[in-house]
Amino acid sequence: MPFLAEEAHAAAGTPSIGEPMLWAILVAPLVAWALIAAYGRKFPTIAGYLALAGVGAACLLSYYTLFNVMDADGGIRQYTHEWFSAGSLTVNLGVRVDGLTAVMLVVVTTVSLLVQLYSTGYMDGDHGEGRYFAHMCLFTFSMLGLVLADNLFQIFIFWELVGLCSYLLIGFWFHKPSAAAAAKKAFIVTRIGDLGLLAALLLIFREVPEAAFDIAEIQHWAGGHLEGNVPTTTVVTLFALGIFAGAAGKSAQFPLHVWLPDAMEGPTPVSALIHAATMVAAGVYLVARFFPVFEASGDARDVVAWIGAITAIVAATIALVQTDFKRVMAYSTVSQLGYMMMALGLLGYVAAIFHLFTHAFFKALLFLGSGSVNHSTNTFDMRKMGGLKEFMPITFWTFLIGSLSLAGIFPLAGFWSKDEILLDAWRENRALWVIGLCVAFMTAFYMFRAIFLTFFGTYKGGEPVDHHDEDSHFHGDPAHPHESPWVMTLPLVLLAVPAIAAGWLAYDHMFKDFIEAALPEVHGHGSTFEIGIAISSSVVALAGIGAAYAIYMKKWVTSESIRATFAPFAIIFENKYYLDRLYEDLFVTRIMQGGWNRLLQANDKYVVDGIVNGSGRLAREASSRLRVIQTGQVQGYGLGIVAGILVIVVAVYAANPL
Amino acid sequence: MNGIDLVGPQFSVLATAGIVLLVDGLMPGHRRHLPFIALLGLAVSALWTLSWVSRDSFPQKDVFGGTLSLDEYAVFFYFLFAGIGATVVLASIDWVNREGRGQGEYYALLLTTCAGLMFLSAARDLITIFLALELSSIPQYILAGWGKDKRSSEAGLKYLLLGAIASAMLLYGMALLYGVTGTTMLSEISASLQANGEQYRALLVLAMVLLIAGFGFKMAVVPFQMWVPDVYQGAPTPVAAFLSVGSKAAAFAVVTRIFFEGLGADFLSDDWSMIFAIIAAVSMTLGNLMAVVQTDIKRMLGYSSVAQAGTFLIGLAAISVPGERFDLGGSGILLFTASYAFTNLGAFVAIIAISQKIGSDQIRDYAGMWKRSPLLTVGLAFLPGVPHRHPTNSGFWAKIYIFNAGVRADLLWLVVIGVLNSVVSGFYYLSVARQMFLGEAEDEKTISTSPSIAVALGAATLGVLVFGLIPMPLISAAESAVDALRTVS
Repeated sequence: MPFLAEEAHAAAGTPSIGEPMLWAILVAPLVAWALIAAYGRKFPTIAGYLALAGVGAACLLSYYTLFNVMDADGGIRQYTHEWFSAGSLTVNLGVRVDGLTAVMLVVVTTVSLLVQLYSTGYMDGDHGEGRYFAHMCLFTFSMLGLVLADNLFQIFIFWELVGLCSYLLIGFWFHKPSAAAAAKKAFIVTRIGDLGLLAALLLIFREVPEAAFDIAEIQHWAGGHLEGNVPTTTVVTLFALGIFAGAAGKSAQFPLHVWLPDAMEGPTPVSALIHAATMVAAGVYLVARFFPVFEASGDARDVVAWIGAITAIVAATIALVQTDFKRVMAYSTVSQLGYMMMALGLLGYVAAIFHLFTHAFFKALLFLGSGSVNHSTNTFDMRKMGGLKEFMPITFWTFLIGSLSLAGIFPLAGFWSKDEILLDAWRENRALWVIGLCVAFMTAFYMFRAIFLTFFGTYKGGEPVDHHDEDSHFHGDPAHPHESPWVMTLPLVLLAVPAIAAGWLAYDHMFKDFIEAALPEVHGHGSTFEIGIAISSSVVALAGIGAAYAIYMKKWVTSESIRATFAPFAIIFENKYYLDRLYEDLFVTRIMQGGWNRLLQANDKYVVDGIVNGSGRLAREASSRLRVIQTGQVQGYGLGIVAGILVIVVAVYAANPL
Repeated sequence: MNGIDLVGPQFSVLATAGIVLLVDGLMPGHRRHLPFIALLGLAVSALWTLSWVSRDSFPQKDVFGGTLSLDEYAVFFYFLFAGIGATVVLASIDWVNREGRGQGEYYALLLTTCAGLMFLSAARDLITIFLALELSSIPQYILAGWGKDKRSSEAGLKYLLLGAIASAMLLYGMALLYGVTGTTMLSEISASLQANGEQYRALLVLAMVLLIAGFGFKMAVVPFQMWVPDVYQGAPTPVAAFLSVGSKAAAFAVVTRIFFEGLGADFLSDDWSMIFAIIAAVSMTLGNLMAVVQTDIKRMLGYSSVAQAGTFLIGLAAISVPGERFDLGGSGILLFTASYAFTNLGAFVAIIAISQKIGSDQIRDYAGMWKRSPLLTVGLAFLPGVPHRHPTNSGFWAKIYIFNAGVRADLLWLVVIGVLNSVVSGFYYLSVARQMFLGEAEDEKTISTSPSIAVALGAATLGVLVFGLIPMPLISAAESAVDALRTVS
């Protein structure tokens, strides 16, 4: 490579990790996938073990990689091979590891491993078990490929693959129409964002073909350090916005966030892995990966920051009024992803990745906790729960830890990362800081609302099992809830550890220095902690918990009276700002089905099938006169050819007079 | 030598057609071997071509007084047509046996049209081009009407009548071109136009548009596409498969040659570039939007092929100026023809197998196909649809080339339309895929696949995957072909 990032970074060393090791991380889950795909049907029971083995191997190697990169203070190591080259198009195949990659590797494989373990309990007895683990392994492989890629092209390949896996897994229970619809929605909505990414790819090909899509080269180019090819701000902004469009689709940013809550139709472990911890964070990762590009464009940064802030507050307000346990979590995820994007837009590279890191653990924990609750009550409806603390102590305590962490209570993980974001907001943009504080308040409020409704009070019986539903794999008796088996509670306990402690890595700028070494240059802020910000955010979080306590535990004020007071807001929140309805009614129903289809069908029927006139159609109905319409149609088609020629000739003469 | 070896690839195919007829007539007991004789003939043709390529020595570039050009460009298509022919033969075996009549004629006609297409891709002279076109077209008319049902006869007749109109237009255009330049050789036409063509621009525009109409019919682009859905739906499916890839690819081969080599003069190239660009935009958009609402899978593929042809045309619109744009656009077209051939043949082969068993081409009857035949489902659901937008498919590279050529030719608007259209096309392929994977089958009986179908589908799938993962051989073949075309002119 002509440009090596470590030149700019004398402080960080070069990790010594060898190339086979890095590829092995990628290959392990792929092998598991292949084996499950080949033998999963015959021996469905081994699928889970194969998945555990494959992902477990990748996980061990990831930790090895992390320690290796830590020895080099987060420096960069890249192995690049030419895949093929033709004319000006060169495409490489390579792996790149640095602080950012190492952190992502550890997050992906750890969460994936624990989720697979949990799944062996959760999915036990489902007749699609083999297919499930195969998809999960394929997803893990794709996600690892995405973070290990050393060039944008490779990122794009895996980007599409994770999208496909997500589609397959959301629609896993495809016999449910809602699941099939949710899968389609996710696919189409993220696709809209992906167009932006494709445009960014083409733009790079046009502007810097010599970069061969290499990440370091693109960062270099965007920073204006490439001799003889200094891009204009417009070009950089366009590229940045293309990247961000792709990221916004995957990371469910407003107004493309509508697919993520529906994606909860998939099995809960899928939601935990893909739609909480990893894939949805891929957008944040992508923006962080190309952070120097965003540094070079203030306009793009503003867009990112504001879209992130809007996403955060919109999703948080919707979460306030959800009655479905899992949907609360889903909107919370959207909101937190917005938080991370906002941080990136405010130059808070470190804060965003740090929050991604801690969020992955506590949000996966919360999702798995909700799955555990569902496992015992057969429902996600919080109105049918209550009092579960007594029946499911492990689930309760771990869920409480996750919630406290998400709410940002000292000294749990979420406190540290959220504070860094708020600190960056305080420094860069006070308006966004205020939004951030509001979101923090709401986050604490809706999480504890969910806790009080689910785990406290008296149990309301769950959802009775429908014994006629042969697809249901529910085993227990919802009337008598019970704690989940150890394969499900063990991951909860294990995830609770990082949910408590992951934030402590902020100590002495350890995390900061580690992942900043991945950037060619550092313009970031100095300190990552300020006592004033910490106090203000803690006060706000405690106020949120207190409000939830007052309303849902003590019932000093009833939730009904609050709803009545703020009725207009409540209605907007309950209807999710009418966005889904807008999309579905306007675009899908009115325009697609109503307008276009009718127009096209009419065209097919009247223009194409019988250009002559209605007599042809009448004749078709009378099959004895079939010959008449044939000749009629052919005449019409022939006429079409001649008319086409005339139109073109006239148009050319008109456009370019002789 | 009397020069017969120079057209060896074509003649081995034509001779095989004769042998097939003889065996059919004289040895009726050996009729079941006919398709294998046909395959053998195509293999000999491909090996003959390979013997030139592998030694990197073409006997002569210009043969038969310059009417044919034996270069990497022609050779690229020789291979392509041999491959398409072989796949269609394999895909036809079950259908022809079931039909139970005229096996010899069927394969002989198929071989003849293959030979015609090979001539077409090598021709550099208007008369030769016309003859080659007719040699390939007339058997296609007969084949389209081969089925016993009325729809097939209707399709054959329609195709014949409209084909005749298109040929007439083409001939008229050629006559005008001859009138202006006094020659039928592409190289001489080019020289004559460069020297003193500008004064005849009005006439030349007319000639050009007539040529575009004549070939546009074969390429199936708007507004010369109207026959496509009817004929695809009515013709026997193997024949429809052949029409959708074979004659389309040949039309693109010859149009690229005529317009780049013969009509490349500055005062004309802007005009035809713009015509192609507009036809491209309209074809892509109309083709895709119509495909969305189809309920018959063959009609859907028909409209989809119109849209695909529109994408090819972006490449043609971009090649009006020699240089990098030409290289990118030209290679893009060749890549696209090849990858499109693999994917569409795969899809059609799968349809052949499925419709033979379920007796329907309605998309709703494909529900739950995944449980009945995973192999066919993969062929139909994944070959044409999803992978076209994924880098592990050769079609993706073709699109990158074509779009890039478009961007460099300042046709950004056209590229944007192209990219938007690829989203729409993803949508209807996805809906077919969804039916097949997630729909409920009324009848869960497994659909068995005959060995010939499995081989054909396997070859198409392998082609898609191999050239997707290792696109270099295909890309370099396309680039050297385009190189040859540029140096000739």
